[in-house]
Amino acid sequence: MSRRMLSRIGSGLTVVALATTTVACTKKSDNTDAETGGREPAQVKVALVPGGSHPYFQPWKDAGAKAKTELALGDVTFNETAGWDQTKQNDVLKSLAAQGYNAFGVFGVSPDNINSTFEDLKRQGFPVGSLASCPAGANKADFCLSTDVEVAAYKGAKAAIDAIGGQGNLVHLTGNKVDSNTQRRIAGVEKAVAETGGKVTLIQSVTDIDKDLQSAQRAVADLLAAKGRQIQAIVNTAYNPAVASAEGVRQSKLPIKVVAIDDDPTVLDGLRGGSVAATILQNPVGQAQVGSYALMKLSGGCTMAEAGVTIDSGSFVVTKDNLDGYEADRTAATEALRKKFDGDLLKCS
Amino acid sequence: MKTETAPEAPAVPPAADPRPPARVLPVWANPRLGLLIVIAALVVLFSSLTPAFLDPRLTLAPLQADISVYVVVGLAQLAVLSLGHMNMAVGRMAALSTFAMGLAYDRLGVPLLVGLLLGLAVGAGIGALAGLLIAKTGVNSFVVTLALDFGLLGLVTILYTWATGGVSFAVQPSGLAALRFDTFADYCMGEVCGPRIPLVVPIAVAAALGVGLLFRHARLGREILMTGSNTVAAELSGIPTHRRVVTAHALSGLLAALAGFLLAANNGAFSANIGESFLLPSFLAPVLGGTLLAGGAVSVLGTALGATLTQVIYKGLNLLQFSLEELKLYIGLVLLAALSLDRLRAVLAERRAVSPS
Repeated sequence: MSRRMLSRIGSGLTVVALATTTVACTKKSDNTDAETGGREPAQVKVALVPGGSHPYFQPWKDAGAKAKTELALGDVTFNETAGWDQTKQNDVLKSLAAQGYNAFGVFGVSPDNINSTFEDLKRQGFPVGSLASCPAGANKADFCLSTDVEVAAYKGAKAAIDAIGGQGNLVHLTGNKVDSNTQRRIAGVEKAVAETGGKVTLIQSVTDIDKDLQSAQRAVADLLAAKGRQIQAIVNTAYNPAVASAEGVRQSKLPIKVVAIDDDPTVLDGLRGGSVAATILQNPVGQAQVGSYALMKLSGGCTMAEAGVTIDSGSFVVTKDNLDGYEADRTAATEALRKKFDGDLLKCS
Repeated sequence: MKTETAPEAPAVPPAADPRPPARVLPVWANPRLGLLIVIAALVVLFSSLTPAFLDPRLTLAPLQADISVYVVVGLAQLAVLSLGHMNMAVGRMAALSTFAMGLAYDRLGVPLLVGLLLGLAVGAGIGALAGLLIAKTGVNSFVVTLALDFGLLGLVTILYTWATGGVSFAVQPSGLAALRFDTFADYCMGEVCGPRIPLVVPIAVAAALGVGLLFRHARLGREILMTGSNTVAAELSGIPTHRRVVTAHALSGLLAALAGFLLAANNGAFSANIGESFLLPSFLAPVLGGTLLAGGAVSVLGTALGATLTQVIYKGLNLLQFSLEELKLYIGLVLLAALSLDRLRAVLAERRAVSPS
């Protein structure tokens, strides 16, 4: 018999064998969800996994280390190797699970399909918190602890409108356009502008410039060159554009009021120097600390009173006047969040 | 990966020279064997450094699923490397095809297999279009597929925004969850259950077998290789080279679509970012496995081993919790070392073959 014939017969037999096996087999019980709970704090190993490397998440490192000490957890690790790729992030999470991490605080790369990843982790009995961003649609994690981005964007736009005396042209700089959270940020800014009854015009929402500082700097330089003299205020709802516009406006010396987001040193210097009118601070430390606390409680047997509940981790308008006291406000907000988990959100028998 | 049955195509079609080559290289000189040894050494190294590497549920099953995706990605590039061409749009072809699948599941409610076939047809169609442009205009495949990649990048985003208002279909067709979560260990005949191999693995094995048989035994595959080896000679031999270019690119598109489907099954979502990370691995797997960039020779088994090597390195370093920068640095270094060792082995084999021992 020729080799050709043999290989054909071999392939045919393989297909038949596979088909027969598939038909004749029965599937084990579908209920593969493992039990969560019953772990002592020392047995809880928390993994804090952002979508990739970004300055916003850097406070998670120290906050996680602090949570480990204060809560006497088995371990808290911070892994930012996902590289803004959902597939890689899934892989990172599986690897961390293989190393014994059993509670996950995750900033999903793609809000539109992170729920599949959450379901995957929960099937294996791991408590999961969606931190700093909520999935699009119903949240499949145990809870979502994140800035209410629409509210934060609204506050930022209001601050910008106030800074220009309630009249003029506004530009909004933000992140990935196809991210559902960006759409909510745009809605927040549009809402604040609509409330002015036409006195303020949103002349442009520039999206997709939060990938890195260089692309944000280029976009700001182009914007100022093209429309610098028409713009009275810039409101930022993403980290890199905030830094780039604070720098760009200061260097161009244009009379534009910048409202930034977060507390990069450039932004804080701008606030002190007057080139930045205000910044909207989020609470990454609270997300990591309270997120780790909630994950520990869930590991110990508590459940969420409402599965998948969304909790606003807080956003604060900071101007030159309250620049020195904002950290105390943030600490107080973090403590209040923890009490909220103990009082209302968690059910512990 | 059970790809050992996948044949490796000869560098020169046997029809051209029926006699065995004058210089017979020793068995250890086979580049595939070299890759296998490197993979085995890395598996031993990683499992001694972290026992979690051998965790069947959390490491080995996901690793096999990842390898399945990247074997098919490598085959998609191999299909055009056989011509000495490139497909720079391999990722975007996968994205467009998975969009078609997602749309069919979401709007038409078609069964899993029907949506898959539809997506494969879209992939083959877009690949054939690329092939047609290359064959008719004579423009370099790099340029044509790069332009196509840019075009598809915009198109895929527009299509997803139009169809979903976001970047992903929420639909979960029946059977997708089984492909994602189940292994053959979940299926039993009486007390006997299957091995812990994910259900997506046989799909990749079937694709590798199909491509292997095409290039090894089918006239069509031989003609594609002949076209890649020497277009003028192939043309003079009566091979319709233009049609073979279209066929090879259509095959590349079809395999890219299949890879997109496997990734969607692994991720549990049909989303716009499918295929974003396909381009570099698509070259890495075949080239590591001995497929020539110049065309005329392919190795399916080598591609499977090349994909396995890169995924083993990635998984091992991930498990060892390397930082982002270290991860990139060491992946580069390990690949460089693997390639250097392979080259050293090839040089030693050449010397052994020419020495009058």
